[in-house]
Amino acid sequence: MKIKLNGKEIEADGGKSLLDTCRENGINVPTLCYHASLFPEARCRVCLVEMDGKLVTSCSTKPREGASIITNNEHVLKARRLNMELMVPQPSCKKEDDLEVCGIYEEVGMRTARFASIKEYKPDLGAAVIRDNNKCINCGRCVRVCADIQGVYAIDFASRAHNEHVTPYSEKHLADVACIRCGQCILNCPVGAISERSHIEEVVAALDDNEKHVVAQVAPSIRAALGELFGMPAGTLVTGKTVAALRRCGFDKVFDVDLGADITIMEEASELLRRVEKNGVLPMITTCCPGWILMMEFFYHGLIENMSTCKSPHEMLGMLIKTYYAKKAGIDPKKIVVVSIMPCTAKKFESTRPEMESGVDYVLTTRELARLVKMRKVDFATLPDEEFDPALGISTGAGVIFGATGGVMEAALRTAHFLATGKELEKLEVAEIRGMKGIKEGKITLNGKEIRFACAHGGANARKLMERKDDYHFIEVMACPGGCIGGGGQPIYRDPDTLRKRTEALYSADRSSKLRRSHQNPVVKQIYKEMLGAPLSEKAEELLHTHYVKRDRF
Amino acid sequence: MQILRQTKLEALEKARSLGSDGVLALLEKRGLEGRGGAAFSTAKKWRGSRDAPADERFIVCNADEGEPGTFKDKFIIRHNAETMIEGILIAAYTVGAKRCFIYLRGEYDYLRPRLEGQIADVLARAKMEGVTIEIVRGAGAYICGEATALLQSIQGFRGTSMYKPPNPTTCGLWGKPTVINNVETLTCAAQAVLFEDWNNSLRLFSLSGNIKNAGVYEFPLGVRMSTVIDVARPARKLKAMSFGCFGGIMPVDENMQITPEAVCRENCHHGAYSVIFIDEGNNVVDVSYSIAKFYTYESCGKCTPCREGTIRMLNLLKKIRSGKGVKKDLQTLRELAVHIQETALCGLGQTCGNHVLTSMEHFPKDYEYYLKKNEAGESKEKK
Repeated sequence: MKIKLNGKEIEADGGKSLLDTCRENGINVPTLCYHASLFPEARCRVCLVEMDGKLVTSCSTKPREGASIITNNEHVLKARRLNMELMVPQPSCKKEDDLEVCGIYEEVGMRTARFASIKEYKPDLGAAVIRDNNKCINCGRCVRVCADIQGVYAIDFASRAHNEHVTPYSEKHLADVACIRCGQCILNCPVGAISERSHIEEVVAALDDNEKHVVAQVAPSIRAALGELFGMPAGTLVTGKTVAALRRCGFDKVFDVDLGADITIMEEASELLRRVEKNGVLPMITTCCPGWILMMEFFYHGLIENMSTCKSPHEMLGMLIKTYYAKKAGIDPKKIVVVSIMPCTAKKFESTRPEMESGVDYVLTTRELARLVKMRKVDFATLPDEEFDPALGISTGAGVIFGATGGVMEAALRTAHFLATGKELEKLEVAEIRGMKGIKEGKITLNGKEIRFACAHGGANARKLMERKDDYHFIEVMACPGGCIGGGGQPIYRDPDTLRKRTEALYSADRSSKLRRSHQNPVVKQIYKEMLGAPLSEKAEELLHTHYVKRDRF
Repeated sequence: MQILRQTKLEALEKARSLGSDGVLALLEKRGLEGRGGAAFSTAKKWRGSRDAPADERFIVCNADEGEPGTFKDKFIIRHNAETMIEGILIAAYTVGAKRCFIYLRGEYDYLRPRLEGQIADVLARAKMEGVTIEIVRGAGAYICGEATALLQSIQGFRGTSMYKPPNPTTCGLWGKPTVINNVETLTCAAQAVLFEDWNNSLRLFSLSGNIKNAGVYEFPLGVRMSTVIDVARPARKLKAMSFGCFGGIMPVDENMQITPEAVCRENCHHGAYSVIFIDEGNNVVDVSYSIAKFYTYESCGKCTPCREGTIRMLNLLKKIRSGKGVKKDLQTLRELAVHIQETALCGLGQTCGNHVLTSMEHFPKDYEYYLKKNEAGESKEKK
């Protein structure tokens, strides 16, 4: 159909929203409650445009034949501005926060506030994710992401009119409800009302304590995302700079969680083969993702036997740091402080699980690490590339791809094939479980036995996959869309292509690795030789495996 | 009163003999329009639902009469519920629906036991295969009288309004075509089908406020205001009237003939003809303040202008009434009222500024009274 857009006649698709039509024609319309992968709710009323003289929300309105759309006259701008004024009475934009809402202040030309704030809420200081409703503007993106993308439904709106606010049921704290701590709400909050519970203070105190031997271990997905917080384009690999920055911040040793991932693979692949051979409970489901573990513990009590008993990679490495490394380096384990640098808020919860003896003392998210680096006045961009400390710093490409959805599965298949057949897998890259499709599946033959596998990312996809779990032998679940590269602790991104770029960076790191199979890692071999014996040995079970509990939803 | 005429299942029988198309043609001929306020053609609405492709359709009778000063639906349910239920069955027959709902205002729950008995009785006698009527009790939110919020509530969600399109007529309960009609409309539908002498111009008026004879009356459209006032019997001279809360506040003109057009000329809206009379003893700003309080409490909180705007309007009115208001506050108040009207999501938001705009237009002196109080106070301080 033909419409007039700001006076110019254009051909428009009547099935698309005005917002999409405007953006396709290079006209920017500010949005707040709109989220590309969610059904539009039209609650913030910031994306207003004029259609035939009447104000309409462009996200929820489709064009009429011959309609005249105006996006930038004073009528429109004034209405957008007033809605912003009402929503955010006291604009406070610090440059370092880089909040999405600040960009919209500028777009609508808002400077001062005319209305006093009316919000008086107590902040919700949860164990991993904290919320401050006084900053909240009720855009509802957190609510919809939690429900529609994560399938968790931990938060919703309560009360009416100006008292409407986001809350877990019954005004409880997030820490006391069925919240999986994935932190997707943080990534989608335009005003920074939700954030991780920071461990920076504790880490700084440990760094400044000369008695302590502070060790950092860096998760695979950090290297593909940290650069974004220092002005680099998405998908820039900053492995070497990350290591250098951590040393400048005062960490005594910097280890690579990829090594933990390699050990996880040794254990997990062996566990899979044991279950297949001895008719154990199948499908076996991966447990690298603490968000998914919580989801299972809250919503899928029947799956507890299906979960692999392997700890997640950083927990495995944490234990090895406090045992293997402590013994080798001759340091009292009590003096070692292990700090995990993670893309994840749920890891903060994981390291406090009473069911699991944890070697990890503190967890910093990618965002917190960037803050720490800035606090310590380290100029990240000009740092040289440095190597991980070799004691526990040699890793394989198989460990790197843990950060992307399907990566754990792919790495496990590479090793399982070798362990089962004694021969290396010829086709190293498993194309069918790469990419951003919600649920991916494939099959492989091991010793004449067909192994069917599937992986899901995003809680809602996981829920779908669990409905037909019995079709498979091996399932990988990552709670966050895209896997860890899209984790709740990662830099907040606005370009939907970001996840793909971060993933590509990890795969390129795998391609350029000399070693691409976990079982070929010389440090892994050494650890098994010197301490653990073999995968699933008694010692390995003691240090590297755990169990799960059934949690009440209410 | 025409609304009390009972159809005794003869209307349903006639509808069956006319067939679905016959009923729609008849209602079109009679000119029945929705009596909830929007005055949309009932035949058109029913046809829209009937012809939308779907495997299931629903009828909802909106008995969530929450507008302040409106109590005509309660009157009908108390005195002629059988005819209303018959109207629901005629709608179900015409549209091809099986499940019907009556969304009953929470405060009307005391009417429920009797209504349930009447439903069972009518259903038993009507012998309509598979048709059920469920009563859903509202929980007290004004917004749930709004069609989309009402549907959310029936489905078990929070009562918040949704944007249209899609319209409930084609995509309502559980995504299926749903006819939502007001109690009065459905009652009239049954009567319009049966009675040849049915008069389309009669409307139920709920009269209340500073009058002695508050209650429900039937007047034809175009009735003179003086006639209504004679019935209402105010104690003092009347100054203003408000159609519900949302319609706006306008002066009382004894010679005015009450028609939708005449009301619109005063920038007000007739809604469901619930007239609240305000006499000389009141300042209209005080009335406006009470109405603002109502909206500040009843907004669903979904869209920004209504959620944040209603409380700001209330605060400004509070400031003006306390004698601390300045001219600029009136400007801001007007700006907010217009803004909410223009940008809010649903009917509630789009009308919740009416009382401010119309009272400013028709009764500027009442605002000046409070502003002068402030000036007097200021000059005293200077002395």
